[in-house]
Amino acid sequence: MSAPKRYGMTIDVDRCNGCGSCMVACAVENNIPPAHAGANDRNGLTWIRVFKLDNGEDYPGKRSAFLPVLCQQCGEHTPCASVCPQEAVDVDPRTGIVGQMPERCLGCRYCMAACPYHARYFNWWDPAWPAGLEKTLNPDVAPRMRGVVEKCNFCHGRWHAAKQRAAAAGKDDIDPADYVPACVEACPTGAIHFGDLNDPSSDVAKANGQPESFRLLEKLGTDPKIYYRSKREWVRQAGKEPSHG
Amino acid sequence: MNTRRDLLKFAGGSALGILFTPAPWRLITDTALWSENWPGIPKPARGEIRAKFTNCSLCPSGCAVRARCVGEQPVSLAGVRGGLCPFGITGHHLPNHPARLRQGMATEAAAAVAGAIKSCGPAERVAVLDLRPGRTASWTYRRTMAAIGGLYLAPADATVSVDLAQARTVLSLSAPVLDGWASPANAFAARDRFRLIQAEAVESRTAAMADVWLPIRPGSEEALALGLNGALTAPQVAAATGLTEQQIASLATELSAGGPSLVVDRGMSAAVMALNLKLGAWGRTVGPRREAPVPQEWKKAAPRTDLSAVADRSIRVLLIDESTPGQYVAWDEIEKKLVAENPVVVVLSPSPDGLGRYAKYVLPTAVYPESVEDIPAPVDSMTAGFRISTPLVAAIAGVTSPSEFVGTLAGLPAADSLRARADAIHAAGRGTLFTYADSKSAPLRGLTADDFWKALNAGGAWVGEPETVGPAPKIDAKATRPIPTGDRPVMLAEAHSALLVSPLLSKVYQESDLLLAPDCIAMHPADARAAGLGSGHAVIETARGKAAVRVLTDTSVRPGVVLAGRPDLAGAHGKVVPS
Repeated sequence: MSAPKRYGMTIDVDRCNGCGSCMVACAVENNIPPAHAGANDRNGLTWIRVFKLDNGEDYPGKRSAFLPVLCQQCGEHTPCASVCPQEAVDVDPRTGIVGQMPERCLGCRYCMAACPYHARYFNWWDPAWPAGLEKTLNPDVAPRMRGVVEKCNFCHGRWHAAKQRAAAAGKDDIDPADYVPACVEACPTGAIHFGDLNDPSSDVAKANGQPESFRLLEKLGTDPKIYYRSKREWVRQAGKEPSHG
Repeated sequence: MNTRRDLLKFAGGSALGILFTPAPWRLITDTALWSENWPGIPKPARGEIRAKFTNCSLCPSGCAVRARCVGEQPVSLAGVRGGLCPFGITGHHLPNHPARLRQGMATEAAAAVAGAIKSCGPAERVAVLDLRPGRTASWTYRRTMAAIGGLYLAPADATVSVDLAQARTVLSLSAPVLDGWASPANAFAARDRFRLIQAEAVESRTAAMADVWLPIRPGSEEALALGLNGALTAPQVAAATGLTEQQIASLATELSAGGPSLVVDRGMSAAVMALNLKLGAWGRTVGPRREAPVPQEWKKAAPRTDLSAVADRSIRVLLIDESTPGQYVAWDEIEKKLVAENPVVVVLSPSPDGLGRYAKYVLPTAVYPESVEDIPAPVDSMTAGFRISTPLVAAIAGVTSPSEFVGTLAGLPAADSLRARADAIHAAGRGTLFTYADSKSAPLRGLTADDFWKALNAGGAWVGEPETVGPAPKIDAKATRPIPTGDRPVMLAEAHSALLVSPLLSKVYQESDLLLAPDCIAMHPADARAAGLGSGHAVIETARGKAAVRVLTDTSVRPGVVLAGRPDLAGAHGKVVPS
């Protein structure tokens, strides 16, 4: 029996150029359909979304940064799991991944209201791809139906595939190189790193103790497993403290 | 004896009692489970999973790609040497793009071209416009034009290459160094070792990641390069760029003291090259651009001619290769070169939305990753290179190969040209072959021509040997355009010019505003307020026409400047009015 994992990410905000590769790769991997004609930035389906932050100054003093935001995989008092009346959200003790079971979800959206990171998305429309594009769907992930909530699950399909490969090789533990979420693989700038926070030798575990490291809304005590990093004080401050408007 | 009242009591009590059992609650939960198999939800195809390798041809970077396929169908693409851009990641959607051009009148177009060539007057010309020069197909066009006395037209391409890995200070004059100008794998591997100074009118994605962003006036890049080279005085440069003289002086000091330095702009212009020579960059961070060997008999090819050098109203037949995303050329620049009466224009394109809108004939072409195309070394490679974008899926019926269509005019067997080029590289016997499937390099000398060809078709890459850099070229640094003296409303366009993009790009265009959609513009909020654009919708008016647009406000855009998502608006002057 392998030791429990606590999968997490480190995102170097100073290396993110806001290209959107992570958003698109996530959609390809998880069979998220193209935007419906009526979709916009409030009701679209983007399990990972890159937000543009700025230092609040006007041109030419303005400086921007790009902040990829996905499910923060809260480790303590996971808000979405505690409010779900359907038990459609669970925290896997083997991986620490907050899972979402669309088959159980009734679409009440309590979890969306409870999530302080706005990292959950409601499926307002039937999943539809232009004719012919269904051929390009990932066979490891089932498309979800209209009326359910979706969110990032660290590409759980890839975790299952890695487990199967490990089992076939007679191993208990999966090879860390075998399980990498799509956004990490896609990032052309190498801004996103993934690994086991319980493994002190992993890059993510080493990075999270550094002074440049921060977590979103850390003071809420949800113990998110996504660690961000920036040398810029205003970026760290924007991530730690919520701002209105 | 039981009465009807007892029966009702029993039924009511049973109903109430059932509520205290798990059964009804379980049923409610499971209603969601039943919905799992709605007939409208597509079912992904299943089959054997395999990996294929190719090279992306959507931009000159030509990133190496590993495709995960179910049977023969690619279901995801990933980079081999680092990640891919969002266009590359979704490249496998393009063959099934709903807006793709699928039919065209190839036979009629060929007949019209042949007839027009026969009836050409003495001052009338046949020409090919190649929007992605440097490919083997480009050689076919040049050879064809040499054979029939035509013109090979192509936008200017950088004649030098740069080495970001050797630079310690990089001054970028509006070049998107970290956003597609250089190969992502090379640029980000070297990023931590150089200090990037981005001089640009808007805070682009490269400017946001740069160590220093210098907000200059639009169009003043050349003036800044000339000023740093001493061809303009500091007050002249300050007036042109909007920077202070102190900023310019400290920039000059940083470039000379923080060497090896490198100065780049989008096309590595003469002013930028002259500055690089002054900084001693030749042979260190800048060198000649190398090309893979070609067969000896190909060298009798037509030279590149700039469209602006062609006499107005002189082209009778124009064939435009728009099959691969390349540089943008505005139709009004092309149109004035065509004869006034009955010019024959054939556009070869996978989309009806490009220059094909103006042409008499638009012929559908294969699209990545079903097309076969070679990719020369990008601008940030100091050595020659040759890779093939091997098809991952079969092309649809009815598409025309641009090089075969053009080559037919001179009887050239264009279909064999890639193999002939590979054989010429092999015959030269230099360089190494890198195969992505096993991440191994092998010297070319140890391979047979057939093995080399097979490896190229399996996504391999040939990399030339480093060569001795000759003496620095003589470059005359002088202004090629008027130096701006103040802000005027001007449109700047983001670089992306692909005609077909995956519908999934709506994640970054529509469900977020991360990339500027073609129907969007970005303005400074004060400009938008002054123009009365409160609704967010407007009409943009330039000499190139009007267009309805959605307005985004962004304080990273310089006041007086409009940032557009359409390449045809680049550099245009105009105004934005409420719709």
